[in-house]
Amino acid sequence: MVLSFYLKHVERLAGNWPCIKSKKKKKKLARLMASRSSKDHKGPDPCPICLEPVKEEAYLDRCFHSFCYRCIVQWSNVVSKKHSQAKSSMKCPLCMTENFSIVHGFNGENFQQHYISQSHDKNNLSSAHQFRLQWYNSNARVSRKESDVHLYWKLLRYLRRNIWLENWLRREIQALTQQEDVEIIVHHIHGAIENFIRRQQQDHIKNVMPEDKRKRFRELISDVARPFLFGRTERFVDELESFLVLGLTVDAYDAICMQNLPGASTSSD
Amino acid sequence: MQASRARLFKEYKEVQREKVADPDIQLTCDDSNIFKWTALIKGPSETPYEGGVFQLAFAIPEQYPLQPPQVRFLTKIFHPNVHFKTGEICLDILKNAWSPAWTLQSVCRAIIALMAHPEADSPLNCDSGNLLRSGDMRGYRSMARMYTRLAAMPKKG
Repeated sequence: MVLSFYLKHVERLAGNWPCIKSKKKKKKLARLMASRSSKDHKGPDPCPICLEPVKEEAYLDRCFHSFCYRCIVQWSNVVSKKHSQAKSSMKCPLCMTENFSIVHGFNGENFQQHYISQSHDKNNLSSAHQFRLQWYNSNARVSRKESDVHLYWKLLRYLRRNIWLENWLRREIQALTQQEDVEIIVHHIHGAIENFIRRQQQDHIKNVMPEDKRKRFRELISDVARPFLFGRTERFVDELESFLVLGLTVDAYDAICMQNLPGASTSSD
Repeated sequence: MQASRARLFKEYKEVQREKVADPDIQLTCDDSNIFKWTALIKGPSETPYEGGVFQLAFAIPEQYPLQPPQVRFLTKIFHPNVHFKTGEICLDILKNAWSPAWTLQSVCRAIIALMAHPEADSPLNCDSGNLLRSGDMRGYRSMARMYTRLAAMPKKG
């Protein structure tokens, strides 16, 4: 296993070597390199960057080679500095496969994804995005009265179109995924919400309890958003509901969040 | 930097352990400075460098392995991708194609491979590059052989 993986890695390394053009030469080089520690690999493979046992294991999302989280993030920062233009991918140091994110912090249930573009795209995403991410990372919640939530569903307030919803969604998803181009996801989730409302308009005569409507809405949005937001889906649905119930503009909503964030002045990354 | 020291120490241990494994490469570290290494490599067989022993000098940056080591030939060598006077080496993995997964040992192996497969299109030694590009293999070989004999082989009585 280890050897074949090594051969593959070495062959790819050789493949990236412009000096070596013919296949035969590449094979030869691969053999030359493969003699490297092909014999003794005791225990798990060390991190290829620090050569120590892997700390805070992190994977690349395409080739699944693993590294210490710190090591691979450091390397991705070095690589990104070399390019004047922001790149959204990075070559694996071992096999040169293009990868788009670093998967880390797996705790048995959730994991986190560090996008390659994150380190330098940060400039493109505003401080409001930063704040939202900080908000999602905290346990803070917007203060809202449960009675308001109840009334929202009972008095069919959801039928009133929220004109700020699409912009708000876009901003939230950009902040959560740390990607700029999220149009497809926004369209998908926004479409699901509109569909839900349209269906409610058609059969609101039927006697559905407000609590059931609410539950159905939350389930629907969870299902739609989960493939993109993973472990943060439930929190996102909470936020979405708060935003809809409060019926505020994006700025006004942010202002309320700002007040609710414990120790708002200290920023975490 | 702590990280580069730790990694170089790790490589040092690995080299000590594998000393016998690769007879073509002998890597040693300066006793007083872990950022200075020297390597002795054997010229690959079936090349004009066969039978020669070439000395390489490594200067390792503080940011290693995020940045590549600087390597140059201390032994004179006639090769299109090695500067004849300074010993500087033109090899992409030592520049923009560097990956932190390379080690000093594997860099030595890459240099041996470069000796066996000169790339005439990016020459640092134009005379050597021109001989190869014009297809004068005999001229290139005899020049390279001569310098190997002069600089990289023990003098005969």
